[in-house]
Amino acid sequence: MSAVLNTADGGFAFQVPIRGFHFEKALMEEHFNENYLESEKFPNATFKGTVVGWSSAWADGKPHSVQAKGKLSVHGVEVERTIPATLQLKGGKWVISARFEIPTKDHKITIPEVVREKIAASIPVTVNCTLDPR
Amino acid sequence: MRRTWHAGLVAALCCGSTAIAQPDLLDVLNEGVEAPTVPVSATFKDTRVINVQSNETAASGVLHFVIAHRFGRLNEGAYALWGLDNASMKMSFDYGLTDRLQVGVGRSTLGKTYEASAKLRLLRQTTGGRAFPFSLTLFSSAFCTGTRWPDPERTNYFTSRLSFVHQAVFARKVSDDLSVVLVPSMTHRNLVSTPDVAHDVYTVGLGGRYKLTSRLSLNGELHVFAAGRTPDMKPSASIGCDIETGGHVFQLHLTNSSGMFESAFLTQTAGTWGAGDIYFGFNLSRVFTVRERNRD
Repeated sequence: MSAVLNTADGGFAFQVPIRGFHFEKALMEEHFNENYLESEKFPNATFKGTVVGWSSAWADGKPHSVQAKGKLSVHGVEVERTIPATLQLKGGKWVISARFEIPTKDHKITIPEVVREKIAASIPVTVNCTLDPR
Repeated sequence: MRRTWHAGLVAALCCGSTAIAQPDLLDVLNEGVEAPTVPVSATFKDTRVINVQSNETAASGVLHFVIAHRFGRLNEGAYALWGLDNASMKMSFDYGLTDRLQVGVGRSTLGKTYEASAKLRLLRQTTGGRAFPFSLTLFSSAFCTGTRWPDPERTNYFTSRLSFVHQAVFARKVSDDLSVVLVPSMTHRNLVSTPDVAHDVYTVGLGGRYKLTSRLSLNGELHVFAAGRTPDMKPSASIGCDIETGGHVFQLHLTNSSGMFESAFLTQTAGTWGAGDIYFGFNLSRVFTVRERNRD
């Protein structure tokens, strides 16, 4: 995953290459790429937007609960999302963490009836990243 | 004069828009990052197009089991339920030693034939940074008939039971939906019927698949002779579809070849589509993950 945060206005972008996901079972990985995420057509999942009410006062070293509002694009389908996250400036580096769910239905990832029990209808996502200043 | 003025205005507008636009943070993210080279996957759903090998192999640690049937000829008519009264069968087990190398064994009822094969992905089609246009997979197999000698009184040699096939599978995933293969093959028969029949038969196969949905595709293949053909050999031609359901792939097809192994369908196809010598059949494959991979 790669991410960027503009500390002047709270603009951010996250990008996850779909091909970066590896599975224990080769066929699962093939189906993930071929049938569900269609990674050849849509190689990246992205989340781009701004942190609501961005304030430079958050650079005080304490953790801050914030709302990240923007467009989440998975499987080529953009959905407007507001995701709760935690921001903290630690030793000159911004640390971002968040947990959220991506319902597959929202992104037109269709799961056939016969395998519905085996495949989660919602993808849990955990984000933990540390950004280097540049 | 007017023309110049217009051109000037257009230029000014362009400059204006670039100056105002904020840099897209996603572009900032990808600045200076080279596009990764990604191997093209799932050129075909299975290790075979119909009869002929595709470029695919069983993944590392995966056992790929295939059970295949060819029923009788459609032109046997209603009495034999258009061929469904008879069936010829093949079982095969292929195992991926690595993601590039597969070894396999099989047994067909036709000629009670045993086979042992090796299949190697030599080149892989890639996209991205260092793109490469096609995949090349090599396939070699040895076949041994198991039928009793027709004349046990004469001197029969074990080696007379053997035949060998070597193939180069050139494959290209043209688009998400369309994949094609070109397969030159060399078949060597240790025993041929008369001294003037060539031991080696060279064929060139062309095959492909077109995906109708993400789990259903139309497939076809045709083999033509380049050298070593005798008049009784007919080109093998097949059409069918792949239906994928989780760990299974069902391949249903119509073909003029009853043999399901290379030396049979390449050199022993005797009937033609025109005469109605068409066999309905299927390959049913199932994968078993014997050894799980590191997810790195």
